[in-house]
Amino acid sequence: MTPESITKAEDIISRRVGDDVVVIKDDGQSLYVLNKTAAFIWDMCDGVSGIEDIVQKLCERFEVTPEEAREDVKKIIKVLTKMGVIKYNKELSKG
Amino acid sequence: MNPLAEGAKEGSSDVNAVRLQIGEVCCAFKFFDDKIYHSLRDLYSVFLTDDTPDVTMELEGFERLSAGNLGKAVRRTVYTHKTKNDFQTSSNIMSGEYDLTTRFIKINAEKRLADPESKVNHLNRMVSLAYYMACRIKYFESYPAMMMHAAGILRNGRALLFTGPSGAGKTTLAGFCGERDGEVINDEIVLVSRPDAASKEVTVRSAPILGAFPCRRIVTAPLHSISLLKQSKKTSVRRLDKTEAYLRLMRQIITPTCIGHGRKREILALIADFSMEIISSIPVFELEFSLNREALWRAVGEIEGMADKEAKQ
Repeated sequence: MTPESITKAEDIISRRVGDDVVVIKDDGQSLYVLNKTAAFIWDMCDGVSGIEDIVQKLCERFEVTPEEAREDVKKIIKVLTKMGVIKYNKELSKG
Repeated sequence: MNPLAEGAKEGSSDVNAVRLQIGEVCCAFKFFDDKIYHSLRDLYSVFLTDDTPDVTMELEGFERLSAGNLGKAVRRTVYTHKTKNDFQTSSNIMSGEYDLTTRFIKINAEKRLADPESKVNHLNRMVSLAYYMACRIKYFESYPAMMMHAAGILRNGRALLFTGPSGAGKTTLAGFCGERDGEVINDEIVLVSRPDAASKEVTVRSAPILGAFPCRRIVTAPLHSISLLKQSKKTSVRRLDKTEAYLRLMRQIITPTCIGHGRKREILALIADFSMEIISSIPVFELEFSLNREALWRAVGEIEGMADKEAKQ
């Protein structure tokens, strides 16, 4: 079974601006702002951490239940994948 | 033998070559057409130099499309790369190859793209491409410099930049600039750099960019403030927070990819860092403005006052 892997795309750079993270595709024209939670999740897209690792860290960092955190993580991973700024090698189940 | 020195020698042939001083670098442009060559010598006259070029761009022209079809092709053109040292266009209107060792850029393009009298000319794009390439060769990607879509106005010895996407009002604002309001540096694109590594001062310079206002002299001035333009029914000023400033500013920077540069991530990273440095030290505003000239310059005065106050704090 392929191990779960969430990695940042290669054609992007990111910069922290206060609590936010700005992600820039290397065409220089596609820019995205990630809020505090999304930025936290983004930082953990390191090719090592899986969804449950991120959920656990999110619960430690913010006052959220594991269920709420899991929902947020899945939602944000889905959006970041759609934006093409991360690569996730598994299918995300609903909820 | 130093390959760069050899390249510089090769690039120094003066057959229809215009050598231009662009900020800290010298770029030579060899044109295929006598008429275009002479026309550009006039248009770029204040930037002419005898310095050894850091990069030479040779342009070859062809004519496959009618003026109307070329305009349509330009609008749907996407740049692609087969190797890191070339670019092609989806519409086949232009292609280019670069050789860093010989400091040479070869461009094959529809003739009208190099003709300053054509509405779809790509001369600003070609100048930007040569500039970034020259900076890369001369400074090995360590020199914080970029070209920004902005109208630059010189006021009280300082450069105020007014930026925004096409249609935001850069040329309109420049057109409202009378003698007592300031001096137009350019209404399209300016150079923003930090020439002295030891200094924190960010400098604005005029570049050989064709716009609505002919460049009468090269202006170099410290950057005072940046305003994102928005045409509106009212005139008002709003200080932007760092995130909004960064996001909106980055969109106005001419990035290497826009101009057909193959290896862009490193340069983009340098530009991203330099932009961060700028928003951390230079105040960024949103300037909504109507076609009321007096209200506009009152608002510009307000921007100056707010920026000066911040600088003192």
